[in-house]
Amino acid sequence: MSILAYNGGAMVAMKGENCVAIAADRRFGIQAQTVATNFEKVFEMGPHLFVGLPGLATDTQTVMEKLRFRKNLYELKENRRISPKVFAAMISNMLYEKRFGPFFVEPVVAGLMPGTFEPYICNMDLIGCINQPTDFVVGGTASAQLYGMCEALWEPNLGPDDLFETISQALMNAFDRDAISGWGATVYIIEKDKVTVKNLKTRMD
Amino acid sequence: MSLEEICGIPQYNSLDYERLMHDDGLSRYCRNFDNGMDLAVPPFLNQSNNFAKFTKDDSGREIKINFDHGTTTLGFMYKGGVVLAVDSRATGGQFIGSQTMKKIVEINDFLLGTLAGGAADCVYWDRVLAKQCRMYELRNRERISVAAASKLMANMVYNYKGMGLSMGMMLAGWDKRGPQLYYVDSEGLRTPGKVFSVGSGSIYAFGVLDSGYKWDLTDEEAYDLGRRSIYHATHRDAYSGGIVRVYHMKETGWELIDNNDCNDLHYKYQEEKSKEGGA
Amino acid sequence: MMMQTEMNAYYPDYSTAPIQRQINPYADNGGSVVAIAGNDFVVVGADTRLSSGFSIYTRNQNKLFPMSDTTVLGCAGCWCDTLTLTRILKSRMQMYQQEHNKQMSTTACAQMLSTMLYYKRFFPYYISNILVGLDNEGKGCVYSYDPIGHCEKATYRAGGSAGALLQPLLDNQIGQKNLVKPSSEDLSQEKALAILKDVFIAAAERDIYTGDSVLINIITKDGTKVETFELRKD
Repeated sequence: MSILAYNGGAMVAMKGENCVAIAADRRFGIQAQTVATNFEKVFEMGPHLFVGLPGLATDTQTVMEKLRFRKNLYELKENRRISPKVFAAMISNMLYEKRFGPFFVEPVVAGLMPGTFEPYICNMDLIGCINQPTDFVVGGTASAQLYGMCEALWEPNLGPDDLFETISQALMNAFDRDAISGWGATVYIIEKDKVTVKNLKTRMD
Repeated sequence: MSLEEICGIPQYNSLDYERLMHDDGLSRYCRNFDNGMDLAVPPFLNQSNNFAKFTKDDSGREIKINFDHGTTTLGFMYKGGVVLAVDSRATGGQFIGSQTMKKIVEINDFLLGTLAGGAADCVYWDRVLAKQCRMYELRNRERISVAAASKLMANMVYNYKGMGLSMGMMLAGWDKRGPQLYYVDSEGLRTPGKVFSVGSGSIYAFGVLDSGYKWDLTDEEAYDLGRRSIYHATHRDAYSGGIVRVYHMKETGWELIDNNDCNDLHYKYQEEKSKEGGA
Repeated sequence: MMMQTEMNAYYPDYSTAPIQRQINPYADNGGSVVAIAGNDFVVVGADTRLSSGFSIYTRNQNKLFPMSDTTVLGCAGCWCDTLTLTRILKSRMQMYQQEHNKQMSTTACAQMLSTMLYYKRFFPYYISNILVGLDNEGKGCVYSYDPIGHCEKATYRAGGSAGALLQPLLDNQIGQKNLVKPSSEDLSQEKALAILKDVFIAAAERDIYTGDSVLINIITKDGTKVETFELRKD
């Protein structure tokens, strides 16, 4: 079994009309055993910037701390907010530094570009190869299921409410067919003037 | 003749011999239609070690043959008979193949089998067992005892020991000697007992079951105990879930008590808990 | 010594160790099958791409096998196993017809397939099978199988290389899972067909083993209707 599937977890981010959404499940497990159902995999890195780190839970937390440290240094030195694009490049660099002994996370970045508030999403593999599509990105153990759901449900120019509905349905139905993710979900809808966080009521088996 | 058949000795009497002589080539591909215990012999020795070598295609890509797996099942005896409770999830690898699988097989009106391990293994051998139990009934004009049925099962699968069969089943029934509960597995183990739980979620089920179990449970208490045990297992075990099914083996035969979706049970139990906490 | 083994790993031609040979009886030829049953009909679709690894053998391969007037089997996986299995199954159907002077029912065929698959328990057919048909009351039914013959009756099912992508979508669109207000309306043939096409479009987008076109069989009491639907061909 892959070490990326040791703890389990599902992650998805989508672009909308002047908004982006990122959602993840809340399970922390050790293989078949569900240890906790309130584990956060998505972290706020700025007012319009979120990063999701599906994969090995210990690396989720380590990478998050390392990223926060580097982001803080950047912001102190530059005296301005980090943009999602720069942040993604920074993660990519950091992961590639460990090319031959990688962190087992597949990061997903979602945010709005400073100034223009243009939606930005990307994901990368565990050694930092960035993928920036125009529609949606997925990660974690339910990625096959998520691809199927998103490919059918996503459409261009969704408003925040429709985007919330789409991403929630995509995530819930996807992880209901994956044994090692689920047990609750958190959805973040990022708009120009507000960020909405919602916890979904899901199956708990 | 019947003894021969039960022992699985190939019969060379007139009819079958005729068939062997004029083999149309087709019957070689489904010999188990005539004798359920007669499966195809693999083209290599030592199944468990050598099959793995075949699981790559010409380009070296891994061929994934995922059989349906994973379960929580339990059964216990109490003063009112035997209660069986099971979940309904079938997983192939991490993928949930089904959330509605039937893991209790109704062998006849007085015999139930639960399945854990390889789904196909359990269902197939339960079907062979059902045939043999029916044959016994027709020959002897009385129902087979649970002890005998479980021994038939254990002996059948013992013939395939080491070939990679994977099953852990409970057989519950009611015969002349009253309610019975046996555990049989593909390693050849067969044992009677009062409380069993089998499958990947059994450790969680046992936790709840052992803390609430006593001989003098009422029927309702017994059903609830079974239901709760399975529910808690589905909550903690990734490879269990779906629907909780509860069966009761009575003197008059088995009865399906109810099927509950784990999702409904979770929010019901949670509400009960929050009420207790408030009071 | 270390050098030697390392070198042999990189330059197998210069290895002095005995040469090992191994046959690979299995191949993964890909393909997806989706089936949806309604009250008086059942639709089943299979893509027509037959591939091996990154190369495509043909873009036009029918993977649906009619077993009787009301029963169709869809196969995805190892094509050589599929050919063998369907041949035996068809012969058995014919034997039944000649012995009983009637066609085998879908339910009986479903059980027979399970037993035939299990016969090869220790050297399985590498196929994901979906058997569809009308039951004795004329209701549509779908039976799905694992490679060694575990059979389950369902109303909708996706199998094959894109099975994991498509099944949650069917759960949502047909099973009405995770919806706040599930509709109680019966599934119409038109809707089933529309969903079937939608899910294949999604599969062709992300699964390299699924594409080219979909062959659809629509089975009702009046017989089987065949339709094709084009998918992307890259």
